[in-house]
Amino acid sequence: MPKKESSFNRMGSKISIYLILILFVILFAFPFYYVFVLASQKGTNMYVNPPHILLNKYYFENIGKLFDAIPFGLHFLNSVMIGVFATLGTSFFCTMGGFALAKYDFKGKKIIFTFMVGTIAIPTFLNLVPFFRMMTAFGWYDTWLPLIIPGMANAFGIFMMTQFLEDAIPTDLLAAARIDGLSEFGILMRIVFPLAKSSLAIIMIVTFVGKWNDLIGPLVFLSTPEKLPIPPALTRFYNNMDGDKGALMAGNTLAILPLAVVFAIFSKQIISGLTAGSIKG
Amino acid sequence: MKKNIFLLILVVSVNLLIYGNGTNEKSTSIPPIDMSKNYEITIGTWGQDVADAYNEALMKSDFTGKFPNIKVKFMVSDFSSHHTRAITTIAAGEATNEIEMLEVAQIAKFIEGGGLQPLDVEPFNGFDAGSELVEFAMVNASSKNGRLVAYPVDIAPAVLFYRKSLVDAAGVSLENLQSWDEFINIGMKLTKDLDGDGVIDQYAIPHAVEVSSVPLNGGMSGWFTKDGVPLEPKSKFMEALNLVKAVRDAGIDADLGTWSPPWLQSFGDGTIVATINGAWFGGALETYIAPETKGDWRVTYIPNNSAASMGGSYMSIPIAVPNDKKAAAWEVIKYLCTSEAAQLNSFRKLSSFPVLTTLYDNPVMDEKVEFFGGQKVRQIYSQVASKMPADPVSEYDPIARAIFGNYTTMVLVDDMPTTEAYSSALSEIIAVAD
Amino acid sequence: MKLVKSRLFVNSGKLAPYIFISPFIISFLVFGLYPMGYSITMSFWKWTAGGPQEFRGFDNFVKLLTSDPYFKLSLWNSFVLMIFGSGLQHLFAIPLAIILDDKSIKGRDFFKLTFFLPYITSVVSIVLIFSQLYDENYGWLNYIIVNVLGQDKVRWVTESVPIKTSISIMLNWQFIGWNTLIYLAGLQSIDESLYEAAEIDGATKIQQVFSITLPLLKPVIFFTLTLSIIGGFQIFEQPFVLLGGYEKMGGPGNAGLTSAFYLMATGFSYGRYGKASAIAWLMFIVVIVMNILHKKIVHSDE
Repeated sequence: MPKKESSFNRMGSKISIYLILILFVILFAFPFYYVFVLASQKGTNMYVNPPHILLNKYYFENIGKLFDAIPFGLHFLNSVMIGVFATLGTSFFCTMGGFALAKYDFKGKKIIFTFMVGTIAIPTFLNLVPFFRMMTAFGWYDTWLPLIIPGMANAFGIFMMTQFLEDAIPTDLLAAARIDGLSEFGILMRIVFPLAKSSLAIIMIVTFVGKWNDLIGPLVFLSTPEKLPIPPALTRFYNNMDGDKGALMAGNTLAILPLAVVFAIFSKQIISGLTAGSIKG
Repeated sequence: MKKNIFLLILVVSVNLLIYGNGTNEKSTSIPPIDMSKNYEITIGTWGQDVADAYNEALMKSDFTGKFPNIKVKFMVSDFSSHHTRAITTIAAGEATNEIEMLEVAQIAKFIEGGGLQPLDVEPFNGFDAGSELVEFAMVNASSKNGRLVAYPVDIAPAVLFYRKSLVDAAGVSLENLQSWDEFINIGMKLTKDLDGDGVIDQYAIPHAVEVSSVPLNGGMSGWFTKDGVPLEPKSKFMEALNLVKAVRDAGIDADLGTWSPPWLQSFGDGTIVATINGAWFGGALETYIAPETKGDWRVTYIPNNSAASMGGSYMSIPIAVPNDKKAAAWEVIKYLCTSEAAQLNSFRKLSSFPVLTTLYDNPVMDEKVEFFGGQKVRQIYSQVASKMPADPVSEYDPIARAIFGNYTTMVLVDDMPTTEAYSSALSEIIAVAD
Repeated sequence: MKLVKSRLFVNSGKLAPYIFISPFIISFLVFGLYPMGYSITMSFWKWTAGGPQEFRGFDNFVKLLTSDPYFKLSLWNSFVLMIFGSGLQHLFAIPLAIILDDKSIKGRDFFKLTFFLPYITSVVSIVLIFSQLYDENYGWLNYIIVNVLGQDKVRWVTESVPIKTSISIMLNWQFIGWNTLIYLAGLQSIDESLYEAAEIDGATKIQQVFSITLPLLKPVIFFTLTLSIIGGFQIFEQPFVLLGGYEKMGGPGNAGLTSAFYLMATGFSYGRYGKASAIAWLMFIVVIVMNILHKKIVHSDE
C-alpha cells in the first residue's frame, strides 16, 4: 500500500509530525506518570516546594499499607465484575438499538431518534434522588444492579452506535444476507457485530472506563463494604483530615493500570479492525 | 387560560400524590426503646479515626452495660463522599443510616428544610437531655419554631495558633492582643524577607480571609436576623470586609488557599508564623500537618478577645429511619454527646472539642499539652467555647455565606470598595433567598 | 410452505427494528420516566430535603429568568466554556486522528494509548495535578510565567478570564484524546480507494484531507459537536474542583459558575430542589434550541 507513504515522504514534515505527537505525549502522559510519582512518596511528606517530580522508593511500602488497610483484591474483583457485566450488556443493547436506527426504515423512527437524543440533553444530576428512591423500591439497594441494568440500553450509546453503524455496515450486504435466508436477529449476530468491531471497541472502552471510575453510584447504592468497587473503597480509608495520601495514590496506580491494559487491547480494533476491502471480500 | 391553570394544578397535585415522599406529614408518635429487642444502629461518618474513637467509647461498659441490646456499626467514607451520600439518601428519604453525622456547614439547610427527625419531642426530649451542652451549638441546630433537628457532638472554638520561635525572633508578642490594628502592626514585623533576595519568605498568616470569619462567628450563623433580614447588623459585616482589606493591604498574609498543598506545607517550613483556626487544628498540626514542629506552637486568644467557632459536627436521625429504631439511635447519640466518658475520649483521640460544658472545668482542661510546649491550651479553648455567641441559623445560610465569601475575595483581588461589596452581596442574597 | 415462510420473513423484517430498539424504550419507561416526572413536579414547588413545602406555579422559572442574579450569567459561562472547552478540542482532535490514521506513522498504538491516558487517570490525581499547576503563588505555570518569561503572575483561579482559561485548558486536556478516538473510528469507514484515486490525480496529502477526509467525516463531526453542545452545558466537575466547591459559587465574579454548577449548588448545597429542577429544565430547553440551530447550520451547508 504505497499510496499514503508517498505524500509523507519529505523528511521534514515527517519529523515535525513526530515532534507534535511527542509534545502531546508529554502533555497527556505526565499526569499518569505523576500518579506514580505521588504513589512512591512517603505519606506525610507529599507536598513540598518545589513539588516532587521524580519517582521515590516508597512505592511498595505504600502498596503494603494499602493492602493492610483494605481487602484491595476483593474490591478489584468487584470492579471487574461490575465493569464486565455492564460493558457486555451495554455494548449488546446499544449495538442492537443503533442497528435499528441506522439500517431500518420504520414508522416512528424519526420520533424515537429525536426523543432519544433529547433524553441525553436532560441534565441528569438531579435525577439521583428520585432514581435512588426507585432503586430502593425495586429492592435493588445494596446490590450491583443499579450500577449495571439501568445504563444498558442508554441513549448516548445508541446514538453513538447509530452514527457509526450507518457507515460501517454496507446496506447491500444486509440485502444479500436476507436473500440467503438469514433472520434479522441472525444478521445482527453474524454480520453487524463482527463488522462493527471498531465502534464496539469504543463503546466497550467508554462503558468500562465509566463504570470503573464511577464513585457516586456505588457510594450511594452500596452499603456493604464487601460489595464496594475500588473508588469508594479507596475513599473509605482516607479523608481531608488524614495525611497518608501515599497509600491512596498507590491504590490509584493499581486502579488505573488495568484500564490502560484494557484500552490497549480494545483500541487495536479501532484502527486495524475494519477496512473497506474486508467488507467487500 | 383559567382552565389551563386548573389543569396544571390538577396534574401537579396528582404528581404530588405519586411523588411526595410524605416526610411532611406529622410523624406519628415514636415508640420508646424496647429493652427486650435487639437493635443494630449504623452511624454514617467521615474518617476511620472518627469511627474508631466513637466505637471505642461505645464499647465501654457504661454504654454496653446499659444497652446490651444495641449493636453499633459504622459506614465510613471520606469527608465529601460521606456528605454526598448522606444528603442524597436523606433527600430521597430512603436507605439512610440510622445516624448520619453532619458537618456544621451542612446543618443549616436541614433546619427549616426538613428531612431530619426533630429531637425535641418525645421520647427524645433533646433539649432536656442537652441542658448541659454548650448553648450556641444547640441554637445552631434549632429551627425558628423551636425544633431541634440535630445534636452537637463537637465544636471548634477558634484561637490564634503561633510559632513561638519565630515570634521571639522578631522580638514581639502575640499574647492577648487588644485590637486588630495591634495584630496587623505586629504582623508586619513578622512578615519579612529572611534571606535578603527581595522575596518575602515569612508571613504572619496564611490568608487574609481567615480573619474575616472571626467577626462572623466562623461564618456558620448570623447571616439572617430572627426576622429574616440578611447581613444585619451592617457594622458586623463591614467590619469583616474592612478587616480583610486591612490585612491584605498590610501585606501580612501569604495568599495561600486553605487545604492547598503549599498551605499544608507552610506550617512546618516556617513560611507561616500564625493562623486562626478551630481547636481541632491543633490536632491536625500534631498528627500530620507539621509534626516536626512539636513544642514550638503556642495558643492564644484571638485579637480583641473575640469568640468564634470554626468547625464542629452534629449527629442526626433522618426522618426516614423506621420509627421503632429511632429511640435506640437516640440512645447512641445521647451517649456520644452528653456522657463525659465519650466526650473526653473523642477529645483525646481526635482533638475535637467537647460540647459538654461540665467538662470545661474538668481537670483534663488543665493538663499540659506537649505539642504546645507544655502550655495549658485547653483552658483557652474552654474559655472561648463558653462565651461563644448564639446567632440564629437560617436555611439560606449556605448561599449567603457563598455570596458574601465571593465578594470578600473581590475586595481582595479586584480592589472592590468594601461598601460596594456589602451592598452587592446584600442585593444578591435578597434576590436568591426566596 | 414457501409462502408462509416468506410472509414470516417480511413480518419479522418489519418487526425487527421495533424489537431491537425496544430495550431503550423499556429502559426509559422503567428507569427514566419516574425521575423525569419527579423533577418536573419539583420544579413547580419550593421543595427541600423534607419534600414539597409550598406550591410555586411558574415562579421558579420566572424568577430564574428575571430577578435571579446568577442564572443568566451561568448560561453565558457555560456557553463560553462550551466553545473554548468542549468545542476547541476538535481542532486538536481531528488533525491528531488524521495523523494517527496514517499507516506510515510508527508507534501508533503507543500514541493512541498515551492520548487516551487523561480520560482514564483518576479524578483524585487530576485534581492534585491541576491544583499544583494553577496555584497562584507556588504553581508550575506561574513559576514559568514569572521566572522564565518575566511576566506578572496570572490569577488562575481568582480572576474572571484566567478562571475560564484554566477550566478550558483542563477540559481540552481531559477530552482531546477521547475525541481523537471517536474520529479515528470514524475514519475507518472511509473507503481507501478514494485516496488511491486522488493520489493518481496528483492531489497532495493536505488536498486529500480537505477534499476527501473532512467531507466524509462530516457526519461524525456533527455527532461529536452535538455531544459537545450537550456535554458543554453539563460542565460541572472541573470548576467544582478547581474553584473550591459549592462554597465558592464558581469563584470571584462567579466566572466559573456554569449552569450545571449552579444547578448542583442549588440542589445539593442549598437544599433547594425545586429551584434546581427549574434550572435543569431551562438548561434542557437551551441545549435543545442550540442543537436545532446546530443542525440547521449544518444542513444549510448542503
